[in-house]
Amino acid sequence: MKMFLQLGLILLAFCMVATALLAYVNSFTKPRIEAIKLKEAADARNELIPDSEFEEITGDLSYYIARDKTTKEIKGYTFTAEQIGYGGPVKTMAAVDKDFKIISIKVIQQTETPGLGTNATLPKFTDQFKGKTLDQLTVDKDGGVPPNAIKALTGATITTRAVANAVKASIDKLRASVSQSPETAALSDSTAALEVAK
Amino acid sequence: MSFIKELTKGIIKENPIFVIVLGMCPTLATSTSVENALGMGMAATFVLVCSNIFISLIKNITPDKIRIPVYVVVIASFVTIVDLSMAAFIPDLHKSLGLFIPLIVVNCIILGRAEAFANKNNVLNSIADGIGMGLGFTLALSVVATIREILGNGTWLNIKVLPETYDPMLITLLAPGAFITLGFLMALMNMLKEKK
Repeated sequence: MKMFLQLGLILLAFCMVATALLAYVNSFTKPRIEAIKLKEAADARNELIPDSEFEEITGDLSYYIARDKTTKEIKGYTFTAEQIGYGGPVKTMAAVDKDFKIISIKVIQQTETPGLGTNATLPKFTDQFKGKTLDQLTVDKDGGVPPNAIKALTGATITTRAVANAVKASIDKLRASVSQSPETAALSDSTAALEVAK
Repeated sequence: MSFIKELTKGIIKENPIFVIVLGMCPTLATSTSVENALGMGMAATFVLVCSNIFISLIKNITPDKIRIPVYVVVIASFVTIVDLSMAAFIPDLHKSLGLFIPLIVVNCIILGRAEAFANKNNVLNSIADGIGMGLGFTLALSVVATIREILGNGTWLNIKVLPETYDPMLITLLAPGAFITLGFLMALMNMLKEKK
């Protein structure tokens, strides 16, 4: 009995030291990691819709409205879509134009199988999303017919679905929230009115 | 003398993949391309050397009965510290190697070397063992990856080596392909050994 207690206490001591070390490392790495992530997200937005300024809208789906830097006209929207893939959540950043047609997408975070699912980050895969509308975001394995569908990655259909379906669901939500928000609807009208007034 | 011996044994004689057959999960996952194999190999070597040093240092204060849980705690904490520090200070390197870090926690080569070597030997020899095993692991991964990448994708280190007309053998990129490749390589190693 005494031996078990002793062993347990020794193990506890090891774990406490380890936990303290981890907490210490976490305390100074966390802010840095978050800052790097924010910067990366901002860079990614700029890459998707260049020469724009972004306004964040939070809600059911958080998204950014991209406006042209000089004319202030709405160029499109960017958002991050997430769905569980084969090895964890797959985060995809996407940009759509005013008519919700995809401008481009970028897989920003994933833990998929190296060599198969990780191919989702390559331009060869993401380029096929360009110009696709909501209805064309069906994976070919699910009955879509290319070119009006997304061609699944070899050996990584689940990853492909995670990307395509997440983007699709988010565009759906985006559509709903943009049409609901009187501000944005009015904005596009008022910019048109401004043009006339000028 | 023994330092050199411990250093070189991991490369061929006690190669962790071909001979000891440890760490099959990361082998399957990261030998799809030479780039991944080198990344995984380097990250694993680094962790292996560090964990061997740690385990060797604490071997006298670790009670025998609970050594395995202690090793698991040490290795998991160490890997997490490496992961967090890399993400915070060298984000570029973390981007390319970060994927492999969590895989290292479940890499049984690390635990295997802690149990079979580091807890019985001094720090210097444990370092040699870690480097040797790490290099052997990297080498074996790269050999498997070379075959899989060339046959499955027609490229080597992302450089096209086979003509466009070559129809890639996709099976080599999938998990069964790793086992088939590994089987042939092990057979080859055994054949060479018997000839001696």
